Amino acid sequence: MTMTMTERDAWLALASVSGVGETIFWGLVAAHGGAAEALRAVASGWKPRDDELRIVRQTRVGITEAFRGQGTVARRVESLGLWSVTPLDRGYPQRLRAVDPPPALIFGRGDIDCLTAERTIAVVGTRRPTLIGRQMAARICTRLVEAGAVVVSGLAIGIDGAAHAATVAAGGRTVAVIGGGHAHPGPRAHRALGRSIVDTGGAIISELAPDTLPTRGTFPRRNRIISALGDATIVVEAPVRSGALITARHALEQGRSVLAVPGRPGDPSVAGCLALLRDSPARPLTGLDEMIVDLGYDTLPEGETVSGRLSLAAALGLLGTAERAVAERLVKGPAGADALVSETGLTPPVVSGAITLLMLRGWIAAMGPAYLAAGPLLAADLR
Amino acid sequence: MLATLVTAVISGLRGELVRVEVDVAPGLPVCHIVGLPDAALSEARERVRGAIRNSGFEYPLSRITVNLAPADQRKRGAAYDLAIAVGILVASGQIRTSGGAWALLGELSLGGAVRPVPGVLPMVATLARAGYGRVVVPAANVAEARLVTGVEAAGVDGLDDAARLVAGPRGRRAAQAERRPDLAVSGAGKTRTAAMNGSDTRAAPSAAASRGLPDLGAASDRVDLSDIRGQAHARWALEVALAGSHNLLLVGPPGAGKTLLARSIPGLLPPLDDEEALEVTVIESVSGRLMRSGLRRDRPFRAPHHTASYAALVGGGPHLSPGEVTQAHRGVLFLDELAEFDRNVLDALRQPLEDGSVELARARGSIRYPARLQLVAAMNPCRCGWHGDLQRACRCGDGEADRYVRRVSGPLMDRLDLRVEMPRVSPSDLVGAVHGESSAVVAKRIAEARARALRRDLHRPNAHLPGAAVVSACRLARSQEGLMRDLASAGGMTARGVHRVLRVARTIADLGEREGVADEDLLAAAGLRDPAALPSLAA
Repeated sequence: MTMTMTERDAWLALASVSGVGETIFWGLVAAHGGAAEALRAVASGWKPRDDELRIVRQTRVGITEAFRGQGTVARRVESLGLWSVTPLDRGYPQRLRAVDPPPALIFGRGDIDCLTAERTIAVVGTRRPTLIGRQMAARICTRLVEAGAVVVSGLAIGIDGAAHAATVAAGGRTVAVIGGGHAHPGPRAHRALGRSIVDTGGAIISELAPDTLPTRGTFPRRNRIISALGDATIVVEAPVRSGALITARHALEQGRSVLAVPGRPGDPSVAGCLALLRDSPARPLTGLDEMIVDLGYDTLPEGETVSGRLSLAAALGLLGTAERAVAERLVKGPAGADALVSETGLTPPVVSGAITLLMLRGWIAAMGPAYLAAGPLLAADLR
Repeated sequence: MLATLVTAVISGLRGELVRVEVDVAPGLPVCHIVGLPDAALSEARERVRGAIRNSGFEYPLSRITVNLAPADQRKRGAAYDLAIAVGILVASGQIRTSGGAWALLGELSLGGAVRPVPGVLPMVATLARAGYGRVVVPAANVAEARLVTGVEAAGVDGLDDAARLVAGPRGRRAAQAERRPDLAVSGAGKTRTAAMNGSDTRAAPSAAASRGLPDLGAASDRVDLSDIRGQAHARWALEVALAGSHNLLLVGPPGAGKTLLARSIPGLLPPLDDEEALEVTVIESVSGRLMRSGLRRDRPFRAPHHTASYAALVGGGPHLSPGEVTQAHRGVLFLDELAEFDRNVLDALRQPLEDGSVELARARGSIRYPARLQLVAAMNPCRCGWHGDLQRACRCGDGEADRYVRRVSGPLMDRLDLRVEMPRVSPSDLVGAVHGESSAVVAKRIAEARARALRRDLHRPNAHLPGAAVVSACRLARSQEGLMRDLASAGGMTARGVHRVLRVARTIADLGEREGVADEDLLAAAGLRDPAALPSLAA
């Protein structure tokens, strides 16, 4: 982490304030060019001009406290043995950028690398499954483990639990996205399951500050993270009003594919799946072999561990000067692709390539038509 | 007495043979048309009577029955007028047929003039296939009729000319008839001053009026690339899109120059090759927009307004006529203000974008129209247009920007290969920016890159390559496969996304005249970001 600790601490502090949602968080960061500056400004009475950024008094008090007590969140994270990752960090899972806007902060326990595994599949379903549904979830997950995929789910009672348990049992890795802070890790019945998830190389993550209590609203919201972390979402059993359908809808909006396990028409426990199959581009899961084909896991080279870094480094060597020119320009302030072309004097294809490489490194981020410096560039002394 | 003549009807983009049987028998003077005629065709009896009387012939005071065979097919339009009129003349003994059979196409005016009809090219092609090598067509349509090889097409201005042709050299009585000169014929732009002489198969079209009609994509509408200031990135993206037929989405605030850029497209598209030209010409012919010109060589550019109805865009209506997607076949369909289009209308674009054709199914049967088009779309980032702008605040409420963009369904967005964010152009940019390359220079590069793509195995633009063919066309080195994997995993790309990047990279390499795809081509292609692959960290 080459970034100054203060900016990162400020980021943690601001994002953890209760009442600071995505709109306010990203709005403040955009308005002040950074979290540290945003904290300072709000604490010293800055008022936003546009209505979208309206901050209620309670939140303002929270931000002011966070400004005074910077580092508290970081210390709390450390004391709980958690890690945290932000879009500024290199390790931020690219898959989460499919969430719009991406979560500003993820707290986790366990192995962060399983969020960036080559193959990840979200498996979700109802909290009140039938035995057949549980069995189906277990069979699907076992097969996914064989294909080398990480299973993502929500650690809830029901299909979620069956999916996690089957994955652990099959020797696979699984990620649980919980609906509260880490001090309240999911349902009591799943405490042991949660421990074994972490012990077997998986991870438990949350976007909420460690002491946040889960509420009715936090569960549907974390579903967008579940769908984003999976390259595809499989809905095992869902009645009409199931949270799993929200996950499926997020997945479709994020450009992920969705498979739904069909059932008998008229059976309320699968009515949601059938509605999904009828009304959306979701495809039916007609068998485990077919599932592997539909997920494209039958063609890709198996277990290839060609180091991505090397080829990327080779490419960086190729475009080193162009990339540097674009990065240097963005350190001075945000700019669109067009401004980058005219101000660096490079051709559009070269600028486009440099943008790709910088985005891959997590050194810049796109915001509408413009690109912003991020990661190490925020503290860079290039000039 | 019975006369049988041959004419044709349009069904979809194909012509179908129709026999016109006319029986003139003693009885009360009435005229019946049978064989599923529509309103325009039922009115033919009035036009035919007027035309016959005003051409110097006699309208028989007998019982006239006109049968259009096959009887089970619905007939429409006025293209049968000429065949019916000549049939009545033959059946009433006013002219005798000699010198072989002619097929006839044409609408009649009350004064006996022959008016152009749509769809002459495919109808003549059908007649030729059925062995009718001699066809009488309206003079205004003779150019398109002659695109069919091996057909003797005679253009006529009036019923009397047609009668002379059918009567042949020995049809004495026809020569006596002479049409009264029309004093003023407007609309068809035809002014006739002298009588015709004999069996003249002239091609010479006389009217110029139809040439003066404004046409979409006409020269006056065009914008030269050098007129557009700044926007170097978007210009390049457009060049890549046109060279590889990739679908393109331009996103930007009002005044960014999205529409202006799109208007430059007609001047950048390479000409149609022979086969494509014939397809496009047939579509134009059926749409009734092809009159005196011959083969259409410039690629279609269609820009329907966002109030366009489902039937207007996809095709349909009472006669299952081709829609904008078909009229943009082998060319570009430009949809400005994409999010303002009706959701149903937009979703209907998915089939043509996927299959290159559109199937219109109705109770009476279905018609498949070709629609291999390139989609270029433009939209604002939100309702007020300022979402994501660095200086100006967006006035849309919470989540409204998201809702605005989501009006365009995910699957359609997914088919837009390239997405370009066009920033607002500040006044200082307008004054300071240097002029870019002209359309002529860029068009040449596009044509060469496209030719390069067509020379490869499958002979089609890169955007239409199937997955396996893209991979082989890119000739990736081993190290590049690693790079591609990195790009895919970092961007969370699907298999479709990977192929899309490869197709675009292939086009960028074609523009750079490279045999294999280089690393920088892959990176540049990934940077022309497709919305799903490298999503933005939106505010």
